[in-house]
Amino acid sequence: MNKIRGLFIMLTAFALSSGFAFAADEITNVSYDPTREFYEQYNAAFKKHWKGKTGKDIGIVQSHGGSGRQARAVIEGNQADVVTLALAYDISAIEKAGLIKPGWQSEFPKNSAPYTSTIVFLVRKGNPKSLKDWGDLAKEGVGIITPNPKTSGGARWNYLAAWAWADKRYNGDEKKIREFVAKLFGNVLVLDTGARGSTNTFVRNKQGDVLLAWENEAHLAIAESRGEFEIATPSLSILAEPPVAIIDAVVDKRGSREVATEYLNYLYSDEAQRLAGKNYYRPSNAGIAKEFASVFDLSLKLVNIDDPLFGGWEKAQRLHFIDGGVFDQLYAKK
Amino acid sequence: MYIELRDINKSFGDFQASRSVSFGIARGTLAALLGPSGSGKTTILRMIAGLETPDSGDIFINARRVNDLAPSVRGIGFVFQNYALFRYMTVFDNIAFGLRVKKEKAAAIRARVEELLELIGLEDFGKRHPAQLSGGQKQRVAFARALAPNPGLLLLDEPFAAIDAKVRRELRVWLRDMIRRLGITSIFVTHDQDEAIEVADEIIVTNKGRVEQLGAPPDLYREPATPFVADFIGESAPVENIAAFRGFEANVQGTPGAVRPEFLKVFAVGDVIQYPNSVEDAVVDDVAFRGAWLELGLVLRGIRLTARYSLEKQPPRIGDFVKVLVYRLYAFEDGKVSLRRNAELNASRHGYSYSI
Amino acid sequence: MSGKGKNAPRGASLWVPRLFIGISALFAAVMLILPLAVVLTEAFSSGLQVFLRAVSDIYARKALFLTLEATAASVFLNTVFGLAAAWVVTRYSFAGKGVLTTLIDIPFAVSPVIAGMIFILTFGRLSWLHPVLEEHGIRIVFATPGIILATVFVTIPFVAREVIPVLEARGTDEEQAAVLMGAGFFTIFRRVTFPHIRWALLYSVILCAARAMGEFGAVSVVSGHLRGKTNTLPLHVEILYSEYQFTAAFAVSSLLVAGAVIILTARNIVEFAARKEDSLNVH
Repeated sequence: MNKIRGLFIMLTAFALSSGFAFAADEITNVSYDPTREFYEQYNAAFKKHWKGKTGKDIGIVQSHGGSGRQARAVIEGNQADVVTLALAYDISAIEKAGLIKPGWQSEFPKNSAPYTSTIVFLVRKGNPKSLKDWGDLAKEGVGIITPNPKTSGGARWNYLAAWAWADKRYNGDEKKIREFVAKLFGNVLVLDTGARGSTNTFVRNKQGDVLLAWENEAHLAIAESRGEFEIATPSLSILAEPPVAIIDAVVDKRGSREVATEYLNYLYSDEAQRLAGKNYYRPSNAGIAKEFASVFDLSLKLVNIDDPLFGGWEKAQRLHFIDGGVFDQLYAKK
Repeated sequence: MYIELRDINKSFGDFQASRSVSFGIARGTLAALLGPSGSGKTTILRMIAGLETPDSGDIFINARRVNDLAPSVRGIGFVFQNYALFRYMTVFDNIAFGLRVKKEKAAAIRARVEELLELIGLEDFGKRHPAQLSGGQKQRVAFARALAPNPGLLLLDEPFAAIDAKVRRELRVWLRDMIRRLGITSIFVTHDQDEAIEVADEIIVTNKGRVEQLGAPPDLYREPATPFVADFIGESAPVENIAAFRGFEANVQGTPGAVRPEFLKVFAVGDVIQYPNSVEDAVVDDVAFRGAWLELGLVLRGIRLTARYSLEKQPPRIGDFVKVLVYRLYAFEDGKVSLRRNAELNASRHGYSYSI
Repeated sequence: MSGKGKNAPRGASLWVPRLFIGISALFAAVMLILPLAVVLTEAFSSGLQVFLRAVSDIYARKALFLTLEATAASVFLNTVFGLAAAWVVTRYSFAGKGVLTTLIDIPFAVSPVIAGMIFILTFGRLSWLHPVLEEHGIRIVFATPGIILATVFVTIPFVAREVIPVLEARGTDEEQAAVLMGAGFFTIFRRVTFPHIRWALLYSVILCAARAMGEFGAVSVVSGHLRGKTNTLPLHVEILYSEYQFTAAFAVSSLLVAGAVIILTARNIVEFAARKEDSLNVH
């Protein structure tokens, strides 16, 4: 019996020990879903850079998931040294929870967004239905695939981009804008919960004529699909600035501020910016961005969420996406 | 006294299982705790074993007060009603269990188990499992298992209840002989009075939590101390008013009692009647064959009695009128039993001198 | 199938058994065989090299190790707890016994996701427990202990529910006899009680392992998805799938399938051995 007791104690100790927070040489980067491939490459590059700079080895632990969920997890105690999420809104939530000092967005260049992205259309090869701009999407017989703005952060960009275009097209006529957006969403065939799900529906299950997608996702789909798809860039879209930030509470406790700061800073280096471009994120460094002119339509007009039309993410959220908000009103009309 | 109980009381919730139970059993006695269901006999056994704790009173085994001792140190062996053999051990391991717990040496254990296997007549059964044994064999193994650690006291809880009738008889005899041979003090619980009478040296009769009487079977039979014992041991027919019988009018009216079959003599038509002045008329309403004799059900002035009739004679039939002579009967007064003789028989000088 | 209608009464239609066999076969084929076949074909659809690369990938290996660790821990802890609970419930009467048995069944009723959230609320940064944990540098959620806890939680009922009926049916006679002869608790458990529950226990351990291996919901919530640290095999499969690495996802899934096959085989062996022993012992 003593043998069993001993084994039990040993197992418990073993299990608990793996829970002890060791200040070993590693940092944790909590990011959102689509950045997996990018950070795998970036982390390798950064490790080399850090070794070269300080002679030390550094380990980087990645975590990916829905941006909002990841922020939630950090608030609940997932020990991230840095976060590289999709929305400033999510990082603000972490700030409100007291883990990040205010003013984080100005800590790094370009609103702490080392790379940006936008919404484009992914269409079947040859663009048979000639879907070139947002107006075409509201036509009869067009099947749209997009995630549900209520559940997917990315999908809200889709909605806001459409809204922004309509605002320009109808000169701010709210009634006509609403009509348009309603017609657009009336053409939606399937409302998946997340971006990857929608991509799946469009790419694998071959449903719909157009997928409203992040630009980088669209490029990825093309790269993997051997010519089945092409990108149609609309005339106007919305600028998504996925920001990055240091979790002050964690780095101060773990003593990792120096390496965490350098980790985020290095995202702005030429090497990192090129990596971003290679992974289909628009580099924030304008010079490097020009190197990817063949990949990105750099002439695309981009509206910012902080423009007076939306007044910032929180305002847009409250107006459009809460229960009973504009989206619910328009979509429920079906 | 090897075993002594002094003023034992035990309740389970509202139910009082034992009331002021006191008795003693001498060393080497084979005693039976006999009584109807719920009379408290099993409770007493379990308290002696240590499976239950009395609410008050003392229990002594071999002059040692054992109330606070665990069963395993009281020097007892226990045989369960349903054998409770260890199903997943061999017969050998079953018997050896108690010795192994006491950490005896393997060689000593082997010797003792083999000795016991021989004693119970199951020498070649050591490697078998209980499931492969018959009921009687299982009980014998249970017996051996209880005896293995050489206890001073053997306790058996209705040991034959789970065994079929034919085997029961044999096993009864076997057990009695075995225990007598070993000379071990034993107490067994039973509700079957034939069993108690046949096997035990001493019977403790229990009823409603009390001890009614303690004594050797013949003593209990001939001199019951309480109406319950008179009724429970041996056959007897209850009588509401003994003064209703001829020859017993001197008794207080309404005194209850009982009549055993051998207290009566039945004269059929054609028999020579003793004491013709004392006989009464009765009607035969039942005739039953009991192997060595006939049992007659009689109705004597509305009172139902049972009598025995020899097979040698021509049996009466149902409906026949017979003459019945009541030699004696039990009278129940103040919870005590006394034997009353028919007053007319004393007076009469007629009749034949048969020893009654 | 020879003698299909062997046990049917004379004159009964043979179509009824055929119909039921057909339905069962169809159900099994669609719900069980088809998915397994798809997993295995997809896993090898890009050839053996891709398959091997996917399963030997460092993250896959770490996920496998974590899954095995969580499974082993939950099997061990739940065996101990299940036996203790079963013993207590069947051998003693105490106030709240019914409550305990109901509590044991809770993981069946509660969605695993809820279970995960409960652990977050109890041990996460916003719980009242957190300062104490922080002080001692103990991390529970978003670390391995949290994963083990979540896995243990969803498998709590298995052992207890299998063992309790067996213990109850058996009664306490043999144990009383053993107590009378002076045997201590562990001796009684080892030599008298355990042989009775041996097969039920083994069976429940197998079920527990199967459930633990495949657990997704609760673990997903408490995991934090730290690659190479807090991703179990099912979580890793999800990651691969959402990265469009379908073949790799199926390849890693086939590891889980292999585990399932091992477990099912073990269960069949246990059942067979138990039945054999049963037929030898005519109780």
